[in-house]
Amino acid sequence: MKQQTTLVEVENLVIKFPVRGGDRKKKFITPVDYVSLEIKKGEVLALVGESGSGKTTIGRALVRLLKPTEGNIIVDGKNVNTIKGKDLMNYRKVAQMIFQDPFGSLNPVKSIESHLKFPLKKHQGFKGLALDQKITDLLLQVGLTPVNEIRKKHPHELSGGQRQRLAIARALAVNPQFIVADEPTSMLDVSIRAGILQLMNELKRDLGLSYLYITHDLASARYFGDRIMVLYGGKVMEIADSKALIKNPINPYTKLLLSATPGSDIKVNLKDMNNEAPDLSEGRKGCPFVHRCPLATDICKETMPDLVEQKENHFVACHHAEDSIEKMIFN
Amino acid sequence: MEEKQPVLELENVSVAYDSEAGMVQAVNNVSLKVYENTIVGLIGESGSGKSTLGNTIMHLMKNNAVLTSCTIKVMGQDIYRLNKKDLRKFRWSQMSMVFQSAMNALNPVLTIEDQILDVFFSHDKNISRKEANRRAVELMDIVSIDSVHLKSYPHELSGGMRQRIVIAIAIALDPKLVIMDEPTTALDVVVQRSILDKIKEIQKVKKFAILFISHDFSLVTELASKVAIMYAGRFIEITDSHSLSQSERHHPYTQGLIKAIPHLTSEDVTIEGIPGNPPNLVELPSGCAYHPRCPHAFDLCMRERPETRLVENREIECHLYETVEK
Repeated sequence: MKQQTTLVEVENLVIKFPVRGGDRKKKFITPVDYVSLEIKKGEVLALVGESGSGKTTIGRALVRLLKPTEGNIIVDGKNVNTIKGKDLMNYRKVAQMIFQDPFGSLNPVKSIESHLKFPLKKHQGFKGLALDQKITDLLLQVGLTPVNEIRKKHPHELSGGQRQRLAIARALAVNPQFIVADEPTSMLDVSIRAGILQLMNELKRDLGLSYLYITHDLASARYFGDRIMVLYGGKVMEIADSKALIKNPINPYTKLLLSATPGSDIKVNLKDMNNEAPDLSEGRKGCPFVHRCPLATDICKETMPDLVEQKENHFVACHHAEDSIEKMIFN
Repeated sequence: MEEKQPVLELENVSVAYDSEAGMVQAVNNVSLKVYENTIVGLIGESGSGKSTLGNTIMHLMKNNAVLTSCTIKVMGQDIYRLNKKDLRKFRWSQMSMVFQSAMNALNPVLTIEDQILDVFFSHDKNISRKEANRRAVELMDIVSIDSVHLKSYPHELSGGMRQRIVIAIAIALDPKLVIMDEPTTALDVVVQRSILDKIKEIQKVKKFAILFISHDFSLVTELASKVAIMYAGRFIEITDSHSLSQSERHHPYTQGLIKAIPHLTSEDVTIEGIPGNPPNLVELPSGCAYHPRCPHAFDLCMRERPETRLVENREIECHLYETVEK
């Protein structure tokens, strides 16, 4: 693989949300707890985790829909951590988001055309015939044909897959370099999903886009992601090249997740497994997976393990990574 | 196997919805037999009619749904010939259902105990409170939930636990047939896996039949022994699930689905989407409903709907196989 330049760099990202405590004191939960990551130009990083693992929160912070509590987000050499106003508006040209629900993310009273018109005018300054041409180009690019019919329609006249294609076109309208795709296929029918993934893959190839692909489906993460990052309870558990991670998972949580995915070779008996959700409260100690992990010992309860490079480009956060490599722990 | 009486027997079932745009055929002439101690999967995209079929079997159709022609027999009993009173008794004691969005299927203002006991009391007037309680604890044990949660309210339990409770209620009266309509859709993969393992385990002990409705191809093929694939209200293929992983001869839609799903472990990770969109039931394409999306379609497909034919033990509705075998 050739050496690529880094587009997105996240250092020690922390995000806190206030929750109401029992005794009227303000308490916080930290759904994202010291997460660092980096995405190269033209690379897809797949972010995999269960609900509540913080994956959507990270995605929202990266496009700055949320303000991080701590840490740095550096995109294309600029720190976008605390930007606001005009700078933030300019940042929208660099990073865009595709949302999970194509039924909720489009405006029902606006035509397809006007969904694209607005960003093209505001961010790109297109006018008149050029604007018209650009809309046609965008619709063609995402495979929404026949263009002349589609552009006058309203969102309710489109199927789920078509709506998601429009959402992609809208993201592309500002010519971004980086797209956060938050479970873009999970609300779609199985036969439609593959088409959307293929489209995103083509765009990556043709436009050199970088993606943060948020999903809970390891199979599609492997298909679309160059690297996979596994998240649990707001912490990074494992990062590796997609193939390596699926073939040789090291962290016990990754192994559990993999075994639970239909079609995997690992078979595990999980029926009496503790399915308790991880603790997200502020100031928690230890590894978030400790209460479900078969390898857990006292040290896991006390300190969170660091991400350590176990194999080349394969980082794992686990005190017992060596044990985990050797043993088939779920049997 | 063939001599046994099927638990569920569908013969030419058609269901239509009476809508403003006219009658909409949601289920179109489907036939299926489900035998004791088997799990049959029902796969389809949204709008293919799979949930409608599930509700029809339970005699729970919505007001504007019309059963146009059919026999639906559960344990040899035609459920559309039962009067209201008998139907109430029959339902849940012989057949039960785990509903879609089962996480919200529980009553939020009643405790779990109330909701489980309700099943016993409404089906057996003579059962004592003590006996009912004993059986409720037994049920909780079967689904691996501590019986202290009998006193809990649904909001105090996690999604996976609520799902287990709903399953417990469905099997409370030892039905012969359980219809499961996307029982794990809203759950995380790990929880989903543990629920499926639980379902398999209970099924092995109780030996009831399951009709498992889902849109998740890989999940169904793993769980069920036989799979019916539904498209635009018809069973376009009924096949053994183990043959689905192999590159054998299938309906083009089935082949499309197999290609459209990224596989976790295989070396080859290319996937291919099915072109076009799921059909609109109000204006179904002529002939075979799949022909606008089918890569093998020829002019006959546009004119005539294919008959079901047997291809290597698989029932396939496709013109491609007409000349192959009859």
